[in-house]
Amino acid sequence: MKRFKSLVAAALMAVAAIATIAPAPPVAAQSSSSLSIVPRKNYVIEPGKSVKDTMVIRNLDSAQPLDLSLRVIDFTYTDDSGTPKLLLGEDIAQTTWSLKPFLKIPESVTIPAGGTKTIDMSVAIPAGHGAGSYYSAIVYGSGAGDGGNVSLSASGVTLVFTQIPGTVNENLHLEKLGAYDTEQAKPDYVFIDINKPQSIGYTLKNNGNVTEAPVGSIKLKYMFGGEQSIDNINSNGSLALIGQTRTFTTCIKLKSQDVNFDGARSAANTCIEPDLWPGMYTISLDAYYGQNGNTTQEIVGTGTFWYLPIWFLIAVAVLLLIITFIVWRTVVKIRRRLNGGQPKKKK
Amino acid sequence: MKHHVFRYHAFFYEWRRLVSGEVISLGLALFLVVSPVAALRFDQRSLTMQSSLPGVTTNYTISFQYMSPDPVGSIDLLFCYNPIPYEACVTPTGLDVSDATLTNQTGEEGYSIQSKSTNHIVLTRAPTVPVGTTISSYTLSGIKNTTDTSSAFAVRIKSLASTNGSGPQIDFGSVRGQATNGVMLETQVPPMLIFCLAEEVQDNCAGTNNNYYTDMGTLSENSTLTANSQMAVGTNASGGFAITADGTPLSAGTHVIDSPTVPTESIPGTNQFGINLVANTAPAIGTNPEGDWANALASPGYDQPNRYMFVPGDVVAYSPNVSLMKKFTVSYIVNASKDLRAGVYTTTITYIASGRF
Repeated sequence: MKRFKSLVAAALMAVAAIATIAPAPPVAAQSSSSLSIVPRKNYVIEPGKSVKDTMVIRNLDSAQPLDLSLRVIDFTYTDDSGTPKLLLGEDIAQTTWSLKPFLKIPESVTIPAGGTKTIDMSVAIPAGHGAGSYYSAIVYGSGAGDGGNVSLSASGVTLVFTQIPGTVNENLHLEKLGAYDTEQAKPDYVFIDINKPQSIGYTLKNNGNVTEAPVGSIKLKYMFGGEQSIDNINSNGSLALIGQTRTFTTCIKLKSQDVNFDGARSAANTCIEPDLWPGMYTISLDAYYGQNGNTTQEIVGTGTFWYLPIWFLIAVAVLLLIITFIVWRTVVKIRRRLNGGQPKKKK
Repeated sequence: MKHHVFRYHAFFYEWRRLVSGEVISLGLALFLVVSPVAALRFDQRSLTMQSSLPGVTTNYTISFQYMSPDPVGSIDLLFCYNPIPYEACVTPTGLDVSDATLTNQTGEEGYSIQSKSTNHIVLTRAPTVPVGTTISSYTLSGIKNTTDTSSAFAVRIKSLASTNGSGPQIDFGSVRGQATNGVMLETQVPPMLIFCLAEEVQDNCAGTNNNYYTDMGTLSENSTLTANSQMAVGTNASGGFAITADGTPLSAGTHVIDSPTVPTESIPGTNQFGINLVANTAPAIGTNPEGDWANALASPGYDQPNRYMFVPGDVVAYSPNVSLMKKFTVSYIVNASKDLRAGVYTTTITYIASGRF
């Protein structure tokens, strides 16, 4: 019996050892994972009405068909930027702003290699539904590779926003305004900048029950006169989600250029170095928000920043040294004259 | 001291004779009465468009609360893209108020249209001091909506003492509106998000090597197992893109190789599973993001050479705005301690490309 037990134990150990060094045999994946989708959809739908729309999905892989499974998930914000936090778990509770109950999409779609497919979708808002903003995301999953230690899976997401018109609670509060450094690893406000700030940031807390996209302008006043104006402070139409503290950034000087993206011409805006002299600048924000039929609200705020480049600080230091030296020389000369041309005697 | 007091008294006494007390009083009174009062912003401003469909002719109801207790003889309404009163006014594309009629008014009443043009209306009445704090509303019919659904527009409102919209303003403020076609507001040249993923991908996602798994070999306490995958991404959406990495650390049944939650060096002999998106020398794996556009970046934490981490749900790469195609190489490292239980350790990492808002 003892011998039998030891034989079984040895066999089990051998199996375990084989498992460690031999991963599951790989099976070639059948689906492509190259897709082109619409990243965002926006709708305005009155209660009791519905919208039927289509979405175009392309399979960019010319060799493999693309098998996609579709599902609707909720999302919120990751931080104060516009990056969505996708609520991917199956057991996550539905958000209060979820569009899930109203959004209908097919469960799956297969697109031939190099082909395009248009799928139907609809958003139906029940009669009597309250006004506000509702949003969810459509996830297109391409399926995972089967085998190896690390399997890969590619998914695309379309963010779907719907406004239900009516009387809503709109409340944005200005939390911060200033020069914004987007160049550093973690972009943040700067009060004193040794590099020319290229962006102005303003942080708004959304305490209402709708998403908000403020518009307006910013004036930049130099301490010795001169003014620059930023006419469109939200050129991307960026949103502050419900409950989000959102930092919007806008270029002090904007360069707009046409780029060729996948065969189509698109406008791309980038911040370029603005014309700033060293010194203090005062920022004046005048922003507006408010939906159709609701009170138009205004946000007014001021902030300051200093642009003090290294060359300017060195120049000021040298100037101070020169002035100090001149004053010291003058004092020494005066003392000598008072002493009859003789240096002061040491006691 | 006494001498100084007498000198001051003598000096001011002389001036008092030159400028009498009556003159000083009159000056003060004039200062108080004539000194300019800063214009106030109308409160409770709103615009209700009966129809927001682009290009249709509809009614606009503009409401606000008068703030200053001064006689108002006219209301100036200027329709522009920009709500800021001192900015240049650009007329919203397709908007036309030249056929507008004033069909209803509540609160402060008695107005009629004095003049109108494509984007400008002046309401006039006999100058009267606004009474009470109720909200006044004015409905203008026959306004043709802007055809531009991509931008909001504003009505710049100001009240004036004159009856023809000239002279200094009393109160001012703007209301916002936007034409929407009820289906899609985003009218960018078709926004697209292109994304592909495999062990190897082409820059423009036209092809991949169709391999979606990696066999990393046998775990050992003395060496680090490594692997690479690639993904290419680009978008013409003005908000940019984000790539989220979701999944679980390597596991075999209930045994898990944990991942550092902050960027950490690869240390053989410890249990570690991590990734990053840049070129590394320890171990020598990966490459830096490839592509002309500099605005698509590996996220902080995943952009440090020779440092690895993995937190499920983290955004590992992003662009804040339009980005042409960019290729990211993801490097994977796995280390194992000598105490790690035997088993086949596997995971599935899902990379999710999304737009931003």
